[in-house]
Amino acid sequence: MAQLFVPAQMIYQQEETIGTGKPYKFKTQPIDPTDPFRGKFITLNYEIESFQTTEDWPYGEDIFIYLKTDKDGFAAVKTVSKTLIAIDEDYVMAKSYSAYNGNLNFEFPFDRFYMNENKAYDAEVSVRNAQRDSTSICYALVFVKDGTAVLNNIFIDDTPIQQFVEEYQQSVE
Amino acid sequence: MNSKLERQLTELLDAEIITSETAQKISTFYHTKDENKPNRLFTIFGVLGALLCGLGIILIIAHNWDDMSRNVKTVLAFLPLLIGQIACAYSLIKKRSITWIESSTTFLILAVGATISLVSQIYNIPGNLSDFLLVWAVITAPLMYLMRSNLAVILHLVLATWYACYSGYAYNVGSHEPWWYFVLFAWLIPYYVTLQKQKSETNISGVLNWLIPASLVITLSTFTDGDTLAFIMYVGLFGMFYNLGQIPLFKNQKLRRNGYSIIGSLGTVFLLTILTFEWFWKDAFIESYNDIELLITALLFLSGIAVLGYLHYKKQIKSFNLFQYAFLIIGGVYLTKGLGHVHGLILANILVAALGLFAIRIGIQRNSYGILNYGLLIVTALIICRFFDTNLDFIFRGILFIAVGAGFFFTNYLLLKKQDKSALNSTSNTQYHE
Repeated sequence: MAQLFVPAQMIYQQEETIGTGKPYKFKTQPIDPTDPFRGKFITLNYEIESFQTTEDWPYGEDIFIYLKTDKDGFAAVKTVSKTLIAIDEDYVMAKSYSAYNGNLNFEFPFDRFYMNENKAYDAEVSVRNAQRDSTSICYALVFVKDGTAVLNNIFIDDTPIQQFVEEYQQSVE
Repeated sequence: MNSKLERQLTELLDAEIITSETAQKISTFYHTKDENKPNRLFTIFGVLGALLCGLGIILIIAHNWDDMSRNVKTVLAFLPLLIGQIACAYSLIKKRSITWIESSTTFLILAVGATISLVSQIYNIPGNLSDFLLVWAVITAPLMYLMRSNLAVILHLVLATWYACYSGYAYNVGSHEPWWYFVLFAWLIPYYVTLQKQKSETNISGVLNWLIPASLVITLSTFTDGDTLAFIMYVGLFGMFYNLGQIPLFKNQKLRRNGYSIIGSLGTVFLLTILTFEWFWKDAFIESYNDIELLITALLFLSGIAVLGYLHYKKQIKSFNLFQYAFLIIGGVYLTKGLGHVHGLILANILVAALGLFAIRIGIQRNSYGILNYGLLIVTALIICRFFDTNLDFIFRGILFIAVGAGFFFTNYLLLKKQDKSALNSTSNTQYHE
């Protein structure tokens, strides 16, 4: 039963967040590694993975990142906390990894986006090219609810990354 | 019946050692014995088939079929899992053969991996490979007891070791001590102990006698920071292994099935040989250790002493064997390192030479060319090491090499003579009885 329950529970939690959670757009930059079981994925580094704060922060601890939406409609950090705080904002968990000069750096857990093995590398190349040539913006659409974050898709200027890569591959051929 | 036995029977009949009636009886005996035995080859191929199919499914899933909708992919994710579960339930309820049980369990374990892979892929669930392996190992852990499957134990150990390596070694950013490894490891111990008590002669118990110590050797260093205490930690582990291998349960088996003794002995000699170098004592000492290392080292030494105490208590130690105490002597030398490095260096050299001589003695006592030459190799290794880092005369070193070379010939010749003599004695005894 546990073998059925564990994946079913994983699915339920993700579906619940996608269905009723709030979507946020996180500006990002992909690179392409491989996992032996789950296939190719792109690793995402988010632009907002740091916050100005004068407090001391432990290394490698789970911290709470409270989110807001900036004037351009992208996700931004409202505040960070070591514990849950009673404010009416969505939060996601992250790992702190350094704090100096009043700047706390952390990593969001949703840093893997699994892709078709023929598209992952081209995703990295095409996004890099697009950003070099123009002011294209690459962002991750993340649904957030009660601390659970589900990375739904990656967009380049509102085009889903799969479609963007297919167009890139056709143009190269 | 196999053709080798048939050939031997014909040979014995021709030499008039057995009568045709006895030959017939022997033939019938082995024939009925073989009939009751499960077909081992069939089991191996069944398991290999299940292993390849399971891995194939994982690879196909890893392609990432992004044309399919999320719902289709979710349904497909559960398909191999359900097939595996139905196959396992069928072989368990219908009490099918070992081939069925081992193959279906192997397939189910891999199917669980495939399902978690696909779900993680569909929802981009965070977590690196070590988290994935841990979840996989935990939810497939009950299968070894439920199905009484030997392959389930091996796969569990492989997953646990892989998880520990990925989680603990520094090449992975954010590495940390894989404490869950101990839980996963402890989980299989009751199965292993029961197996040793009931079926210690089976192939699987022989395989596990190697895999279990090998897994511990691989993972132990994930709990260290690479300082000198890690070295002593391994000395404790190898000492404990060697003594464990001297417990009658393992000692009475063929030496090649006793992974504990062999890994323990080789490991001890290897580490001790490093201790015979001056640079180790002068330059390689890094004296910064953390509490975890200290605790694990203490536990390993204590368990080594406990096994040694048990052997004494059960009166299993008939003659003094230096290999059983080497870890305590090295531990003692390490504790007195504050007195300077000279005595440690000398003691380490003497200890390696003494271990070599002990192995030679054991080899002659047990009529084993393997152990005899192992002892000679230890002495040779020591001399080769000294060849590089001492200021001894060329003539002296030359004489030393010739002496050991002659020792190889002489001791092997001695053992050959001893064996010839005992063979001669047994022949004359037989003739006398006739």
